[in-house]
Amino acid sequence: MAKLFERRLTPADSPLAILATTTAAFFAAMLVTAFLFLSYGASPFEAYFALFHEPFGTLRGFGYSLVRTSPLALIALGTIVSWRSGFSYLGFEGCFVVGASATAWLALLTAPGARFGPIPFFLFLPLAILFGFVAAGIWAGLVGLVRAWLGGNEVLISLMSNYVAIFILQYLVSGPMRAPGSLPETRLLPRTTWLPFILPGTRAHAGILIAIAAAVLVWVLLQKMPLGYELIVTGFNAAAARYAGIDVGRRILLASFFAGGLGGLAGIVEVLGSQHRLMDGISGGVGFVGIVVALLARLNPVAVIPTALLYGGMSVGADAMQRRASIPSSITFILQSLTVLLVLAFDALRYYKISLPAFSRRTPPPAEEVSK
Amino acid sequence: MERVVKHTLEMKNIVKRFPGVLANNNVNLTIQAGEIHALLGENGAGKSTLMQILYGFHSMDSGEILIDGEPVRLGSPKDAIALGIGMVHQEFMLVRRFSVVENTVLGLREGGGPLLDLQRASEKLKDLSNRHGLALDPAAEVGSLPIGVQQRVEILKLLYRDARLLILDEPTAVLTPLEKDQLFAVLRKLREDGRSVVLVTHKLAEIMELADRVTVMRDGQVVATRTIGSTSGQELTRLMVGREVNLRAEKSSQKPGGPILQVEELRVRDETGHEKVRGLSLEVHSGEILGIAGVDGNGQSELAEAILHLREIESGRVLLKGADVTRLSVAQHRKAGISYVPADRRHVGSVTEMSVADNAILGLQRKYTRGLFRGIREARESALGLVARFGIRTGGIDFAAGKLSGGNLQKLILGREIMRGSAALVVEHPTRGLDVGAVEAVWAELLRARQEGKAILLISAELEELLNLADRIAVMFDGRIMGVVDAAGASVEKIGLMMAGIAAESASAAGQAIKETHHGETL
Repeated sequence: MAKLFERRLTPADSPLAILATTTAAFFAAMLVTAFLFLSYGASPFEAYFALFHEPFGTLRGFGYSLVRTSPLALIALGTIVSWRSGFSYLGFEGCFVVGASATAWLALLTAPGARFGPIPFFLFLPLAILFGFVAAGIWAGLVGLVRAWLGGNEVLISLMSNYVAIFILQYLVSGPMRAPGSLPETRLLPRTTWLPFILPGTRAHAGILIAIAAAVLVWVLLQKMPLGYELIVTGFNAAAARYAGIDVGRRILLASFFAGGLGGLAGIVEVLGSQHRLMDGISGGVGFVGIVVALLARLNPVAVIPTALLYGGMSVGADAMQRRASIPSSITFILQSLTVLLVLAFDALRYYKISLPAFSRRTPPPAEEVSK
Repeated sequence: MERVVKHTLEMKNIVKRFPGVLANNNVNLTIQAGEIHALLGENGAGKSTLMQILYGFHSMDSGEILIDGEPVRLGSPKDAIALGIGMVHQEFMLVRRFSVVENTVLGLREGGGPLLDLQRASEKLKDLSNRHGLALDPAAEVGSLPIGVQQRVEILKLLYRDARLLILDEPTAVLTPLEKDQLFAVLRKLREDGRSVVLVTHKLAEIMELADRVTVMRDGQVVATRTIGSTSGQELTRLMVGREVNLRAEKSSQKPGGPILQVEELRVRDETGHEKVRGLSLEVHSGEILGIAGVDGNGQSELAEAILHLREIESGRVLLKGADVTRLSVAQHRKAGISYVPADRRHVGSVTEMSVADNAILGLQRKYTRGLFRGIREARESALGLVARFGIRTGGIDFAAGKLSGGNLQKLILGREIMRGSAALVVEHPTRGLDVGAVEAVWAELLRARQEGKAILLISAELEELLNLADRIAVMFDGRIMGVVDAAGASVEKIGLMMAGIAAESASAAGQAIKETHHGETL
């Protein structure tokens, strides 16, 4: 008897097969979402045009897309470092906030009339990156410490630590760092501390360059350095790592520090490049969407930048779509979520073949194209 | 009323194939009501598979199961329970946060109503525990109970479902001696009650103490079934560890050099706090293979792990070329010159998700470097060298190591550890589960390493392997060395007796006595 799903002898795990299933999943998600557009009486084609034309077809919109891309990509890179080391960290929202707060504090110290006065940008930026990275690294490293030395559950602890970080931020912007005025936010950071804008006529800032550099560095760390090899062995199989003489506890601590630092870098980029001040709610869930980006990029640092650009662009396009086709922008969120779900579901095609006996002659199912 | 096991249960010509392994090859097993039947065999002999078929976990490829002569179908554990077959797994299947009685009724739908009648279940449970001598408080939370009592809960769960045939998988592995005695008393009571017990184990002493009959399995086949009165621990050992195919390895005679690896008065505990290595001392010389014989679970793994400091050491010392390395880290041990081939080649010795090339540098990742970076080209060259030198059949060095066959994976691990150039090599069960060709290849490599002057500590449960490879054989029992014999001219009987826990001095005498009784029987 022919089964609808036939198990493949070996899973199709070539890069082409992975790209094909991921792309197919994305289009399937678009297809499902198209029905939602119809329920608003809008043409799906117009809606999708609005969704993708603004972020990728206009210079202004593309600038905004880049602004959204940088923190997403940095969070995703942090996710990759920690998850591939077997440390299931979920506290990037907190790292973002810690990195942003530390940098904003440092930047305000250099404001004219403040204690240190203005310092040149080329000195300030490395200092700010180091400071924010280390602060967020220690923040996440505390969770790593609990896991490595006490065997604590990093999933729960890191998730909860997000709230602690957010409360600290709320205290800072409504207490010691609050600017005169009614809103819980700091004063505008001195202009000398802003990241330079890189595309004339847009809001795109140098943060995207930092994100690309970070992606390259993470790739080098994981693929080209002995430390990265040790992190990956630890992530796959802690018993084998111990056998190979790798100090598993220290590697997890290190992974949590790097991951936290990258999460903090996302906060630095956002505060110095886009917001230019610290405020309540500055993270806006990017710490979680970044994890989704990492998953969609299959924990591959090279694939992170295009994936983050797609996600960042879609959130920019969502607003345009709402304006033009009067479709709620939250549908984009449904599309993004559907994409993740279907990418996971379409993974089954790498392990199973679809065989439709009645149609097998006339229409080879897409799985066949994927396999060979 | 459904049929349950009343008189006999027969498993006939059971065949079960897993990818690449014939786990059960035409197995026959008969269990009578009111007997304690031991199923004996090394790890991987196929006893767990057979029991999981009987419990409905696995489906068999062919064969049949008969209850009182009638064939039955076992599609799931539910069918097994309905037929009166119950199993206590090595890892208990209990909800730790639930009480004893809640665990007991879990999965049962009694009374038909929508509400649980825990009160009545408690009464029934108390009654059962009194009748079978299993003292227990039905309201106690399971997670707070000692291991021995949790096991009682598992047994009571089966009795609550009125199981007639109870399968116990390695029931004493986690018990203290006192708990063990209590368990045995319970099992004897069940036997009086007319129930059958299948005891899956590799502990000879327990079988001799408790069982009525014993079936020995090896390499997926039943080797023999004996009544306890007509057999001996020594015969069972031989049946269990003997290898079907007669392999011979040519061993050059050479004089061992000075001591390389020394272990002094080593004491090690396992995770549950039991002392597994109890004041053990040994010495391995350069150009010598010292074999460690013994039935699994007598502290051999703990010894190997302690030498590498993969396991906490209570007391004692490990010396390499006279230098104390006891407290050094694993990485420092490797640097100092001890290599290790662990027993679990898929979960410890290699990272199956990574490529052959990446596995070839496991433990050497800080050696193949270029400044800050990995020396990827050098590592790949060494991987290619390993593949060629040790005849590893692989689809290429970028192939995932997990896709290699057991023999090829073992050659990769052994080759990597030999090529490190260490002075001492600790090897644990190097040929377990391998086919004959792979066994020969591994043996040849070990002998070559011996010729190169390495000091090799070879832990194995295969007597034939030890007799062929080792210069001296130390027999380990209950964390101690029972005696050391020269491999040349060593008698299997004598080693077998020591493996069963009879000391070297009395072993020769007893061996003689057994030989005589055997002659007596055959006459």
